[in-house]
Amino acid sequence: MSANREIEARLRETAGKLLAEKKVGLFIGYEKASLPFRTTPLFLSRAEEAERLAWNPFCTANLSVYLPRLFQAPADARAAKAAPPPPTIGVALKGCDARSVVALLQERQVRRENLVLVGIACQGLVDRRKAEKALGTHEALGAGEDGRGNIRAVVEDGTEVTLRREEVLAEACLECRSPAPSLYDFLLGTPVEAKGAARRRKDGLESQPLEARWARFQEAVSGCIRCNACRQVCPMCYCKTCLFDQTRPRWIGAGTDISDVSIYHLVRALHLAGRCIGCGACERACPMGIDVRLLERKLSAEVEKLYGYRPGEAAEAVPVLSCFAMNDPQDFLTEP
Amino acid sequence: MNQKLISHANLDRLLARLRERWIVYAPARDKAGEVALREWPQEEPLTLEFKNFLRSPKALFLPQDQTLLEYQDGKWGEPAFEVRDTILFAVRPCDARALPVLDRVFLDGEQNDPYYARLREKTTVIALACTRTMSSCFCTSVGGGPGDAAGSDLLAVDLEAELLLKAQTGRGEELLGFAADTLAEATPGAIQAAEELIAGAEGQLAPVMTAESARRLRQDYDSPLWETAGRKCLGCGTCSFLCPTCHCFDINDELRDGAGRRVRTWDCCAFPQFTAHASGHNPRPSPKERWRQRIMHKFRYAVENFDVSFCVGCGRCIRYCPVSMDLRAALKELGV
Amino acid sequence: MPSEEIASRTRSEAWEPRILAFLCNWCSYAGADLAGVSRIQYPPNVRIVRVPCSGRINPLFLLRALQNGADGVLVSGCHPGDCHYISGNLAARRKFALFKVLMRDAGIEPERVQFTWVSASEGGRFAAIVQKVVEAVQKLGPNRKLVKSHER
Repeated sequence: MSANREIEARLRETAGKLLAEKKVGLFIGYEKASLPFRTTPLFLSRAEEAERLAWNPFCTANLSVYLPRLFQAPADARAAKAAPPPPTIGVALKGCDARSVVALLQERQVRRENLVLVGIACQGLVDRRKAEKALGTHEALGAGEDGRGNIRAVVEDGTEVTLRREEVLAEACLECRSPAPSLYDFLLGTPVEAKGAARRRKDGLESQPLEARWARFQEAVSGCIRCNACRQVCPMCYCKTCLFDQTRPRWIGAGTDISDVSIYHLVRALHLAGRCIGCGACERACPMGIDVRLLERKLSAEVEKLYGYRPGEAAEAVPVLSCFAMNDPQDFLTEP
Repeated sequence: MNQKLISHANLDRLLARLRERWIVYAPARDKAGEVALREWPQEEPLTLEFKNFLRSPKALFLPQDQTLLEYQDGKWGEPAFEVRDTILFAVRPCDARALPVLDRVFLDGEQNDPYYARLREKTTVIALACTRTMSSCFCTSVGGGPGDAAGSDLLAVDLEAELLLKAQTGRGEELLGFAADTLAEATPGAIQAAEELIAGAEGQLAPVMTAESARRLRQDYDSPLWETAGRKCLGCGTCSFLCPTCHCFDINDELRDGAGRRVRTWDCCAFPQFTAHASGHNPRPSPKERWRQRIMHKFRYAVENFDVSFCVGCGRCIRYCPVSMDLRAALKELGV
Repeated sequence: MPSEEIASRTRSEAWEPRILAFLCNWCSYAGADLAGVSRIQYPPNVRIVRVPCSGRINPLFLLRALQNGADGVLVSGCHPGDCHYISGNLAARRKFALFKVLMRDAGIEPERVQFTWVSASEGGRFAAIVQKVVEAVQKLGPNRKLVKSHER
C-alpha cells in the first residue's frame, strides 16, 4: 500500500527535522531487521540517520516500552543527583502505542513536556508467526506490501507468495478499537475506521463450565518458560523491581511448576486490570505462542462494564484502581 | 567407522528396534504445527520435515526446573531419580554440538555436576544433518556446519528416500550393530550424495565473523557501540532460554512447614536482577552492560577460557527476540 | 511432608477445610473477637490474619494462601463509609471485584475466595458468614488447584 510508503517518507522527514532543529535529543522509531516480517527498534540521535527509519506492517513493537526507563531516576541516589535531566524524546507511535503513552501519563511515568509524539495512522500489523505458518515449508527471504493491501513474500527458491492481509493480521489488530493515535504532536497518514468493536474473539472462557475454564487456562499457560518476554515488552510493566523478582519474600518459585506459572499469569492479569490497552505486544513477543491476553481481555471488558473506564483515553483521567465511587458495585460480596 | 542406510519406509522399524532397549525421543508435529522432540511412539506423526525445533534439547540435560534436594524435619536427601538409557533422534548438528560445549562447563573433570553428568551419560545422540538452512543460521561461522558431527554418536543424512547413518563414536557403532537387521549397507553413491547435500547446505550460509573475533572484542570493551546496540534489549530471557548452550542457573530453597526442596532453575544474564548484589549495587545496571556481557561471554571469554565459542550458530536468539536483535549485526558493527 | 499431610487429610473421613481469614483490625477483627467473647459458636476451621485495613490486601496473599494449601480464603473489612482510614475499603472494593472476576474466568471455584464487610459490633454476622464459607468449602473438597506439583 503506497500509503505506508508515504508515511515512511514523512516519518523520516519529520524525525530528521526534529533532530536537526534540536527539538528532540533522541528519536525512537523502527528500522528494517535482518529477518523478514520483522523490524527492530531504532534509537536516533543524528538527523542524517533519519533515512534508516522504516514504517510498514512489521512494526510490531510498542515503542512506548522504552519511555518509562528514560524518565526513571537511577536507583542509586548519588547517580540520580549527577544524572542529567531527560532529553526531549521523539517517538513514533501507532494508535495502540499512543494509548500506552496516555496511560503512562495517567500514571505519571513520563513527562508530556519532554515528549514529541509522532502519531501514525496504522492499518494493522502482520503477525510473523501467522505469516511463517502460511508459507508452510518455504522460508521467506524478504517480505513487503504489494500495493494492494496484501503481503508479498519472496521465498528461498525465488518465487513470490502473496499472503492475504486478513489471514496474517495480528490478533490484537483484529480487535483494534483505536487505530488512530488519540494523542500526538504530528499525525502521519489518514486514520481508518476502527473495525475491532464488531469482533469478539471466541476464547472458550465465556459460558463454559468451571472445570472447562480451568482446563483452558492451564492448557494455555502450560508452555510458559518464564522468559518474561510478555512482561518486559509491556509499557505498563515498569516497576524497577518486579514483584516476581523480589526475594524477600519470594512470592513464587522461579521455575516452571504449573502452580507458579499460573500465579504469574493470574497476577500479571490483575496488575494490568484497567491498565492494559490491548496492543498485543505481549502475545507477539511470547516465543511459545501463548495467548498471553487470555485473562486480561476478560478483565478489561469487566472494568469497562463495572466502572465505565478504558485506559489510555485521557491523560487527566484517574486510573480506575486509584479511585473509587461510593456506589461501586458490590454484589460479589458474601452475605450470611 | 560404519555407515548404513535405512529407507524412510523402514524408519519406524528402526525406532521400534531401538525402543527395545532405549527410550527414544524423535521429532513429531503437534496440532499447532510445531515440531519438537517427543517420546516415541506418540500420537503425533514422526516427521523429518523441519528446519529446527523451537526449543533446544538442552532441557533434557539441564532441566529448567530441577529438584536437587528434598528435606524434612532436619533430614535431607536427593529425590528418587531414575535415568534411563535414552536416544535423541534427529537433533540438528548445531544442537548436538552444544552438548560438548555444555560439557566444558559441567564436566570439567575435577568438579562434575552429577545431575548433568548422569543425564549426559545415559543419552545417545543421533544428529540429522541439515540439507537446507535458514537465513538465521550461521553454524559455519562458529566452528560448526550442517554436517558437523561434534556431540553426536551417529550422524544421519536425509537422502530423500533413505537416511545414511554414519557412526561417530563407539556408542554409534553399538546402535548400528544392535539394529543391524533393519539396516542396509551404505553404498558409495549414497555416501557421495550425502557429501554433496551437506556441501550444498554449507554453500547457503554466509560467513559472519572471523577468527579474530575474540581478540577484537578484547579491544572493544569500551566501544560506544555497546550502548547503541544494547539499548534495544528489553531484558527478557527468550534468547538464553532458547539457546542450546546458555547454562546459567539460580538455586533456591522452597520450603514450607519445615519441609521443602532445593531447586535449580534457569537464569538469564539479560534479566535486570541477574547481577544485583545484596547491597543494592548492580555492576550491570543497564541493557548496555548486559548485552555486552552476553556477547563477550559467548564469543570472547569462552574462547579465551575454553578454546571454543559458546555459540553454535543456531539462530534462535535472532528468530525469537521480541525486538529482533541480531548479534551478527552487532558483531559486524564492531568490525568483528 | 506437605503432600502426605494433604493426602491424609483427604483420605480420612475427618478432612476439615482450612480457611485463612484476613480481617481488618478495626472492624472485622473486633467483630470476630466479639463473636468469641459472646460465646457464639462457629466452625473452628478459620485461621485469622489481622491486617490494618482491607486495603492492605495484596491479591498475592490470597493466591499464595491457596498455593500453600489453604482450601479457602475469606477477606473481611469495614462497611463502606466506616473505614478507619476513611477509604481503604473503598479502594479495595474495586480490586476485590476484579479478583472475583479473575477467579471465575480462570476456573477457580468462586466459593474458595470470598469477601465481606463485618463491623466491630457484628459478632453474630461474622459467625454466620464463617459458617457459610466453611460449609461451601466443605462441599467443594480440598483445594488442589494452584498447589505445587511436588506437594499435590
